[in-house]
Amino acid sequence: MGMSRLPAILAATPLALALCGAAALAQSCPKTGGTLTYVYSLEPTSLSTIATSAVPVALISTKIYESLLTYEGPALTPKPGLAESWTISDDRKTYTFKLRPGVTWHDGKPFTAQDVKFSVEDIIRPYHSRGKVYFGDVEAVETPDDLTVVFRLKAPVPFFMNVFQPGEAPIMPKHAFDGIDVKAVAAVRAAPIMQNPVGTGPFRFKEWRKGSHITLERNPGYWRKGFPCLDQVVQRIMPDGAARAIAIETGEVDLAPMSSLPEAEVQRLEKIPTLEASQAGAEALGPNLWLEVNMREKPLADLKVRQALSLALDRERIVDVIWYGQGKPARGPVVSTNAAFNAALKPYEYNPRKANQLLDEAGYRRGADGIRFKITQHFLPYGENWARLGEYVRQELGKVGIAVETQSADLGGWLKAVYTDWSFNLTSTFSHNYSDPSIGVERTFHSDFIRKGATFTNSMGYRNPRVDQLFGLAAREIDPAARQKQFDEMQQILHDELPVIFLMEMSYTHVWNRKVKGLITNGISMYSSWDGVSKD
Amino acid sequence: MSSLSLGFVSVRLLQVVPSVLGIAVLNFALLHLAPGDAAEIIGAQSGGASKEFVDELRRSFGIDRPLYQQFFIYLGKLLTFDLGMSNVQQRPVLDLIADRMPATLLLMLTAIGIAIVVGVLCGVVAAMRHRKWVDTIVSVLALLCYATPQFWLGLMLIVLFSVTLGVLPSGGMMTIGAQMEPLARALDIGRHLVLPALTLGLFYAAVYARLMRASMLEVYSSDFITTARAKGLSEGRISLTHAARNALMPVVTLGGVQIGHMLGGSILVETVFGWPGLGRLLFDGLLQRDLNLLLGILFISSILVVLCNLLVDLVYGLLDPRILAR
Repeated sequence: MGMSRLPAILAATPLALALCGAAALAQSCPKTGGTLTYVYSLEPTSLSTIATSAVPVALISTKIYESLLTYEGPALTPKPGLAESWTISDDRKTYTFKLRPGVTWHDGKPFTAQDVKFSVEDIIRPYHSRGKVYFGDVEAVETPDDLTVVFRLKAPVPFFMNVFQPGEAPIMPKHAFDGIDVKAVAAVRAAPIMQNPVGTGPFRFKEWRKGSHITLERNPGYWRKGFPCLDQVVQRIMPDGAARAIAIETGEVDLAPMSSLPEAEVQRLEKIPTLEASQAGAEALGPNLWLEVNMREKPLADLKVRQALSLALDRERIVDVIWYGQGKPARGPVVSTNAAFNAALKPYEYNPRKANQLLDEAGYRRGADGIRFKITQHFLPYGENWARLGEYVRQELGKVGIAVETQSADLGGWLKAVYTDWSFNLTSTFSHNYSDPSIGVERTFHSDFIRKGATFTNSMGYRNPRVDQLFGLAAREIDPAARQKQFDEMQQILHDELPVIFLMEMSYTHVWNRKVKGLITNGISMYSSWDGVSKD
Repeated sequence: MSSLSLGFVSVRLLQVVPSVLGIAVLNFALLHLAPGDAAEIIGAQSGGASKEFVDELRRSFGIDRPLYQQFFIYLGKLLTFDLGMSNVQQRPVLDLIADRMPATLLLMLTAIGIAIVVGVLCGVVAAMRHRKWVDTIVSVLALLCYATPQFWLGLMLIVLFSVTLGVLPSGGMMTIGAQMEPLARALDIGRHLVLPALTLGLFYAAVYARLMRASMLEVYSSDFITTARAKGLSEGRISLTHAARNALMPVVTLGGVQIGHMLGGSILVETVFGWPGLGRLLFDGLLQRDLNLLLGILFISSILVVLCNLLVDLVYGLLDPRILAR
């Protein structure tokens, strides 16, 4: 079998260093020691993304656990992690990883290929929320020796090199599951390691004061000599947005990651010279905001009506007024920071007059009271902005004769209405593209994902055989140019057919104290290990 | 304790049992009215999950069973004081509550202390200076404290004491990561406690002040005070030993009733100040539909409320021996 060797050693050469930006590749810490305290609103419910990959869990667990690779740059260029080097067969069906020797778990036991095989087959694939997307096509994981892992795939998986992220494919110690029935979800979720993590990462678990904070401390045995730079990483839990803003303003915390501050506060804090706000470093998440349309019933089943909805909403205003400028108008299902984005897509127009015209053409004329028809809307219960967006939608659609009744619910009620009962007309929501449309976009628009009770899937009931076919082809296509063509066509169709009203590419804003250095290294910067992050 | 008061206590204790059981049934019913469940929420918080994943979770939580079965399982466990596992956090509910209880008790007891001391004192002083300027000031301040939303008051206190003056921490319960001697640690917690306890306490201080004032004025007009005055007792002695003791009765009653109310108020205050207490655990549990956790917290807090009311009954007896004799 012909092998195309990608020598990972390249990463350490001066050329690669110059090309890739020095942050992640620095050979030594600019400064060693200190504590980085970051703040988030919610308390993690577990310290492993196997139980849930919700933001607070992903933030903290990615400092403790590692995966086979690390990544550089917004487009996630693979670099060595627990694997020192790798080879990929020409048919893209065999991936061989050579593991780094001498790595130990935080409890001192050696890390081996068995841990990788166990983690992928018994833990990640069955229990991680995206495990089946990543490893569903893995036929076998072989371990010819303690430092070699071979993945044999049934068919090529074009995004396979993207999945070895610490939050998405965390390698866990096999010995921690001794005596636990890994076939039972309850047993796995209740395993002691979910609360007392044992990883290989630069930081190890020290203390969890429930409701207050979690402390991680330096792993003195970390394989990357001279790292991590920090002594401690602390996650503080502060449920109130204004209080979080005050804490970063007074210097009590160093970082508010992943849009954890209210947008209005960010505008204020940006102006403080000791603080920095940035939207870089989350490109491989790509959150995209839209209105999900239940297409099972008229009038929303009618394309002209959906086009009218799209024309009646001013995306610039949504970005500038409701989200305080933190985002940009969406042009389709893939965000513009994603490599697969189709740049030929036209921006959506704001034109209420044309919206009225289309609604007339569709046969929904205004009644004596000026109303064409009535619909209900839900909104994602994630805070004030979403409620304001609901107000705005109601107001603007009202202007073109669509009476909108808003129904509010908390997360539990909203999920049930939208994904379990399909008892909604219109709802705001957002979805992550992740690093590849096959991971993050397919699940909303492929008709296979019209499934009651599956959250964040095709709630619209949208079916287009061509779109299904394109997703199917792209999931197997190994020629990047051909794959891009498939994605381009898929995006054009969805752009035109509007199964959802695409509104805004969201952005994750991180605010930090300038004393903190080296935070933004790749498209998953907050979900990376922070081994090279330092603090003056 | 005399045999009479022992009987009094045991009767009261026996009455507690049906109340607590009734509350447990009501809690169970109410929580099942809310749409959605923890399995769906765990799936959603992971950025989406398959139906199989969500169903498997439901099975493992036992929430796929018919409601009546769930109810009897719950009741059976309750009788052995087994509150079960938190669905979302996968830890015993009792552990989770025990983790958070001390913080909430500390906050509530301090707030009650502030409320009673400040409230009763202000009420007595206002009543003694009825229709004088002191009375007006107390009444206006009480009205202000009563009408101010707690979360707003909390934020304003943070802005003043943490941001502008920089003398008190803005949130949390202790300085994180600092190694301290027990005494220094206690002082550190005390510094963190000031603002949240004031925020929670001032509202109740206002209530008590107004109630105490009204109650004192009422007692002033009773015959035994007239008698005391006729006997030539000083006005101060009349107010403090005769009037205040009798006027305290409604304040004590209200105190017992308001323990439950205060648990509710502590949710807001704990949220604003990042105080790691039970209120926030309850709030997070509600949002995540963490059924066992919610049932556990509501059960424990209802016991707390019932016990406080029992305590109030006993204090009545101390304040007014005639109640015990009845």
